[in-house]
Amino acid sequence: MKTQRRPFFGLFATPGVLVALLFAGAMVMVLQFSVRLQIPGSLDVGGFTFRNFTAMLHPLYARVFLDTLWLCVLTAVFSLVLGYPLAYALVRSRRVAVKSAILIITVTPLFLGEVVRTYSWVVVLGNNGFINSLLLDFQVIAQPLRILFTLTGVTIVLVHVTLPVVTIMLAAAIAHIDTAYEKAAESLGARPVRVFFTVTLPLSGPGIVAGLATAFAWTFSAFATPQLIGGGKVNMISNLVYQLGFGNFNFPFAASLSVAGLALTFASIAVLRLALRPLEKVGP
Amino acid sequence: MSSIPVDAETKVGAAPDLAAAARAQDLAVRLDGVTKRFGNTVALNDAWLQVRRGEFLTLLGPSGCGKTTMLNLVAGFLFPDNGEVFIDGALVTDVPTYEREIGIVFQNYALFPHMTVASNVGYGLKARGVAQREIAERVTEILAMMKLAGLEDRKPGQLSGGQQQRVALARALVIRPKVLLLDEPFSALDKNLRSAMQIEVKEIQRKLGVTTIFVTHDQSEALSLSDRIAVVSEGKIRQIGTPQEIYRRPANRFIASFIGEVSVLRARLERIEKSEAVVQVGAASITVPAGPLAGQSPGITVDLFVRPEQLCLASGDVALEGQVATTVYQGDHVDLYIDAPAAASTRILMRLPSHDRVPGAGATIGLAIGGHDATAFPAVES
Repeated sequence: MKTQRRPFFGLFATPGVLVALLFAGAMVMVLQFSVRLQIPGSLDVGGFTFRNFTAMLHPLYARVFLDTLWLCVLTAVFSLVLGYPLAYALVRSRRVAVKSAILIITVTPLFLGEVVRTYSWVVVLGNNGFINSLLLDFQVIAQPLRILFTLTGVTIVLVHVTLPVVTIMLAAAIAHIDTAYEKAAESLGARPVRVFFTVTLPLSGPGIVAGLATAFAWTFSAFATPQLIGGGKVNMISNLVYQLGFGNFNFPFAASLSVAGLALTFASIAVLRLALRPLEKVGP
Repeated sequence: MSSIPVDAETKVGAAPDLAAAARAQDLAVRLDGVTKRFGNTVALNDAWLQVRRGEFLTLLGPSGCGKTTMLNLVAGFLFPDNGEVFIDGALVTDVPTYEREIGIVFQNYALFPHMTVASNVGYGLKARGVAQREIAERVTEILAMMKLAGLEDRKPGQLSGGQQQRVALARALVIRPKVLLLDEPFSALDKNLRSAMQIEVKEIQRKLGVTTIFVTHDQSEALSLSDRIAVVSEGKIRQIGTPQEIYRRPANRFIASFIGEVSVLRARLERIEKSEAVVQVGAASITVPAGPLAGQSPGITVDLFVRPEQLCLASGDVALEGQVATTVYQGDHVDLYIDAPAAASTRILMRLPSHDRVPGAGATIGLAIGGHDATAFPAVES
């Protein structure tokens, strides 16, 4: 009877199931690599061990974990601060030209390849790059600013990557706020600034939580940006995984770092959601 | 359709003291020749409206007629292309909403979902910088008046529809607004609750004496609540008057058919005498107001608009003969749908008390027109 009502269900579900199986298989491989011994000079792995996880506590690696978390926090916060006004204007502007401009500017980065986009930033941020030549020409600064290969540079580019997604998530949340709430507040004598901080912003809570969580999780797995903009001076977990896996061919350690990274992502998002629960619990 | 814009103070059953009552200082809201366009659509066309202090005025019309636009212009959510808006004698055409001292109850109430009942009601006072202690006092007072005591700490989502509406009303009234605007506030309530809330709102409005502009498309709501009704259609105010005037002396065909139920009969204009005209329908002569027939010559065909309760069974000088098509039992009365070849409307509706002997379907009956509430308009070519 069930197949009668949804005759193509099995057919449609097949590709999804195959992809899911593939992912699950890869996850199992990574998990089991993470608890195996490395055999130096060989790609084969040895017996069961937890040594990979204890080795991570070394300050060298712990440092990368902390940097990663810090970059995630910075990126999420800046994406939110920059994305909210954009999202608000995108939803509430009455002029089609403004809406289109915002949409094009925010969405375009999504269509650029990661490497192309990152290299463009190298051109912009470098010592002889666009920003520095401009500031030098106008004699705002005497020495070129060091942006490339710094935490600042990496943060700028990471924000550029997450901003479109955060903006669109916030826009969806803001679009769901009935303007009658704002009108009601205004009719009760609240000036626009008060209306925004007492009504619009609190009601955007769910979008803010979703945007922060997404920006956080997405940044956690960033690879190309810290690799190219950080230039080995700013490292995130993915860069460490790459270095150990494909530089040192220490697959077990790379796998255990991935597993730890994944666990940390889940944990961070759980903490984030718990902390922001009051924000999320608005609405009827 | 010929429409006659009627100025409330002069034409529609104006009592002698009304002109004095309409002096500027007694007006809570005034629209002077207000026009509002959206693109190429004229939402409101040269509207003139005067709302007296303490009055319950209803803007009644079909959806899209411009009544909500009018409300939004008073609220300051929209600004007119032409004309001026006055509240309490002060020109507010370009004044933003938050400085207009108005209270609004929205169709969906728009209670702030993230705030408690007390914070919702106190919002306007807080925005005005009223002291914390006075806010608490005034909120408690209005909640008690609205029978909401004890619900201070609830969130709007935990309230019933009727309670939500009371909170919305309390929130709008606690700031002592110069005018209270009600935007179809009853449409979300079920039927029983709706009539209970209507009575409650009317009582509170009278008790506080707050000037109220009420927007609705429901004519029975308008008739039962209003001191005066402004009938709006196609961006124009078509008639302003008391519910009785609107129901018994509609200014034009649109209002006659929009308010209440009506059947149209063919009649012949006999003569016009001052304010009254006599029309002949079948073997009966009926007296109607002369206004809508002004300038018409005797002998022409006119359309006679009659209400279901004005028709009665007769055997003598019948206005019309017809055959009962259907009878519909309504509890306290019975609706009879009658096919009458001589009528302009395809079916005639008459209403008889259900304890009377009611002719069954198929019976041929004679109809007479009682009372003085029929209205005639020049017939339109069809």
